Amino acid sequence: MSSVLRAGRTAGLLCLGLSALLPMLLLAIWSVGDSWFYPALWPSRLTAESWRALLSGEGRLWAAAVTSMLLAAGTGAMACIVALPVGRALARLDGWRRHLGAALTFLPVAAPPVALATGLQFSFLSLGLGGRPIGVLLAHAVPAVAYVSLYFTGVFAGFDARVEEEARSLGASAGQTFWFITLPLLRRPLAEGFALGFLISWSQMPLTLLIGGGAVRTLPIEVFAFVEAGQDRIAATGALVLLVPALVALAAARLAASRTEVAAV
Amino acid sequence: MRWGLLAAALVASPVAAGVVYSAAAATGLAGFDPRGFSTDRLSRVLGEPAVWESLAWTVRTASLATLLASALAVLVAMTFRRGRGVDRLARTLAVLPLPVPHLVAATTAVLLLAQSGLLSRLGFAAGWLAGPADMPPLVYDRGGLGLVLTLTWKELPFLALVATTLLATRGAALEETARGLGAGPWDTFRLVTWPLLWRGLLPSIVAVFAFAAGSYEAAAMLAPSDPLALPLLTLERYTDPDLARRGDAFVLVLVGLMLTGAAVGLHEWVRYRTTELPG
Amino acid sequence: MSLAKASCGRSSTPQPRDLARAPWDSLASGARGTTVTWRMWRGDPSINAYVDRWVSPRVLQRYGINLNAVEGQGPEIVNQLQVEKEAGAGGTADLVWINGETFHQLRQADLLYGPWSGRLPHAAWVDSASPIISRDFEQDPAGYESPWGTVQFALIYDSARTPAPPRSYAELREWILAHPGRFTHDQAFAGITFLKQLMYALGGGVERFQGGFHEELYRTSSNRVWRWLEEVRPSLWRRGGSYPPGVAELHRLFANGEVDFTMSNNQNEVVTKVAQGIFPATARALLLGDGTIANAHFLGIPANAPNPAGAMVVADFLLSPEAQLEKARSTVWGDGTVLAVDRLPGPWARRFAELARDPRALSRDSLARYARPEVAPEYHERLARDWRSRIRRGGS
Repeated sequence: MSSVLRAGRTAGLLCLGLSALLPMLLLAIWSVGDSWFYPALWPSRLTAESWRALLSGEGRLWAAAVTSMLLAAGTGAMACIVALPVGRALARLDGWRRHLGAALTFLPVAAPPVALATGLQFSFLSLGLGGRPIGVLLAHAVPAVAYVSLYFTGVFAGFDARVEEEARSLGASAGQTFWFITLPLLRRPLAEGFALGFLISWSQMPLTLLIGGGAVRTLPIEVFAFVEAGQDRIAATGALVLLVPALVALAAARLAASRTEVAAV
Repeated sequence: MRWGLLAAALVASPVAAGVVYSAAAATGLAGFDPRGFSTDRLSRVLGEPAVWESLAWTVRTASLATLLASALAVLVAMTFRRGRGVDRLARTLAVLPLPVPHLVAATTAVLLLAQSGLLSRLGFAAGWLAGPADMPPLVYDRGGLGLVLTLTWKELPFLALVATTLLATRGAALEETARGLGAGPWDTFRLVTWPLLWRGLLPSIVAVFAFAAGSYEAAAMLAPSDPLALPLLTLERYTDPDLARRGDAFVLVLVGLMLTGAAVGLHEWVRYRTTELPG
Repeated sequence: MSLAKASCGRSSTPQPRDLARAPWDSLASGARGTTVTWRMWRGDPSINAYVDRWVSPRVLQRYGINLNAVEGQGPEIVNQLQVEKEAGAGGTADLVWINGETFHQLRQADLLYGPWSGRLPHAAWVDSASPIISRDFEQDPAGYESPWGTVQFALIYDSARTPAPPRSYAELREWILAHPGRFTHDQAFAGITFLKQLMYALGGGVERFQGGFHEELYRTSSNRVWRWLEEVRPSLWRRGGSYPPGVAELHRLFANGEVDFTMSNNQNEVVTKVAQGIFPATARALLLGDGTIANAHFLGIPANAPNPAGAMVVADFLLSPEAQLEKARSTVWGDGTVLAVDRLPGPWARRFAELARDPRALSRDSLARYARPEVAPEYHERLARDWRSRIRRGGS
């Protein structure tokens, strides 16, 4: 029994390892593979051309990565700023109101991006936001604000507001209380909320395509264009770059989690 | 108290704007070719069998992926629940793909699962397959198996994260109590662990279903040409060469958002049932 | 950096009406210091390299124009301009790469600026005697688009795998039936062009389809196409139940031996794709004896373009012998020129004649012999739509 169990556990671990690492390995090989045809298990030639183009900045991936990075950082920051009060207000609801509020907030997160983008294209364009980075930023903020609001609702549900009341009773102004008491307490949730908003923008495609009208060139747009053109080597290179912030965010979150001994995960 | 609902309504307002505009465009009040109110377009598009096949196919694919990912998440959470060592490593590996964009998952899936992909090449090298045709079709296949596998892989980390957290926080204490009351391992699982996992996971499962059903990138790269996945059908109509048919897309947008609305409603209702009501 | 670039140089562009009268030199000097956003298909690194590394720096150096090439194919361009018009929004693109049905739709919806192409100084050298260049899917460009290049449709096969490929649609049919699962076409532009050629072949030649769209003729000849497809369907890849989304996906199937043919709207694509390591070195282009469609691709200026003057200057540079010659090199792109080479000043004519030919490229003579013109865009649109509902949806 226990030897069967152990074998099962080992097999499970192996599967999880493969499922987590094989895709990255595959992308890494594809990003340097030249003339790699069936049934070859290894490319017949290797070339660092797509990486050279990326790093020298002459290809389009680098500019797209910078655009994506700025948009994602902007979306993350905006999501935190808007979601903080929203999450707090939501956390104060109770009973059915809490659930209605949560359901409304969940809508932009769950809406299919294609449907959301199609429905919003007209409004965004008539506001003069089409084809401009600011428009794409606001479009990304729609699901990001909602997602981070839900996250902050959870944070504030376990937040002890008595600390703030105490500060106020000791004569601190509302602003002072926020800056010196609330904000430091929320440092970690804020960082995580930012990361969440960042990742939502970073991996967004249909909204960028329809609101940005092709003029705002983000990394997913470029990678998708290369996949659709059969340029697998360049697409794989871009896909690996798309993985970097995602993995950094995850590593940072795990590090923070282990440091604060919330070893639940 | 009221601020909360107002804030929520504000967050949801872009979706509402999208619904209002799409409804107007679907009924001839706005859009490419506004000719005054008429339900002709609605009844014509909703009368197309292709639209319902598309919806059914999308729901089926997303459901399969969600079920598969849920089962695997429970398996991972149950198998690797100890605090340290191998278990911790396994849980880290399970959660690792969490932030991988759909686009990257789909790109990799094509390279891995195609009939000439890496799996097929490994099969050929091992002598199991004589050529690409021997490999079961997983990309552009009518069953959407490759899409199901990709979405499963993409959604598993999130569900595994929720499941392991549930077990580590509430699960441990409850099981301890049950065992203290004399319950055997099987009874503990049946009466405590399973209901806890099931109820705790359900809202996340519904959310994952909504994400899977709405994913565009994965469907664009892996789904078959018939039936066409709902997001693909929506965009195909939105860029139809016949300008008069482009408005059809707004009917499909409404269908997609309705599916979302249903999923979100179910999600909150489940949460309401499990958190606000006893038993 | 690129964020700022996309939105600058917009505010002080001259109004279109003034442009029509302004002399070329003042128009060109007025465009100095502006940005031109060019929406085009960006999926081929060879084309991208030509645009980004050869055209862009020259346009900046000579005319002081910042060229910003961005992604966008035909249907997306139409869609974007349509929504912009409806929303009363300012435009985001100054120059668009279009032809055929896209041009048709843009003109229908009155989304193009013009006429302007006759004003370009280099337009004098355009080969306007060629029906392929002076007509776009039988439509008169009427100055609303400027020709940029010419291509011709070709099938692509692997000479190592298929030493004796079929040479006509009749032979192709036999070949498909004899090799089940080894042939398919894509759902997008190349695939529909393949079907349109099949319609010419089964419907008595391209001549019958010329002179506008005829419903009756379309119905009878498209029915022949559907019958032909239904007959070979069980022998198509995946038994004709699923089709690759675009031609790039078909290329991937071909390169890895899942199917034995792919296709391209550009007879020279096989040369660049072998050079990029995407096709095996033994890949070759093939013209079917029934004739293959040759067409031109064009540049248009959206009616709401923020910078039409800059767009004209760029379009004129792209029409210069220098830019056309570079583009025609098979190591660069292999796109055919739209200039009347024999009318060019001495040295240029010689340089075009001396263009090195890749051994994989098709000879000019056979290209010319089998070239067939495009017909009215409605044929393309209807074939695409009816194929979707009659064939794509009818599989198992």
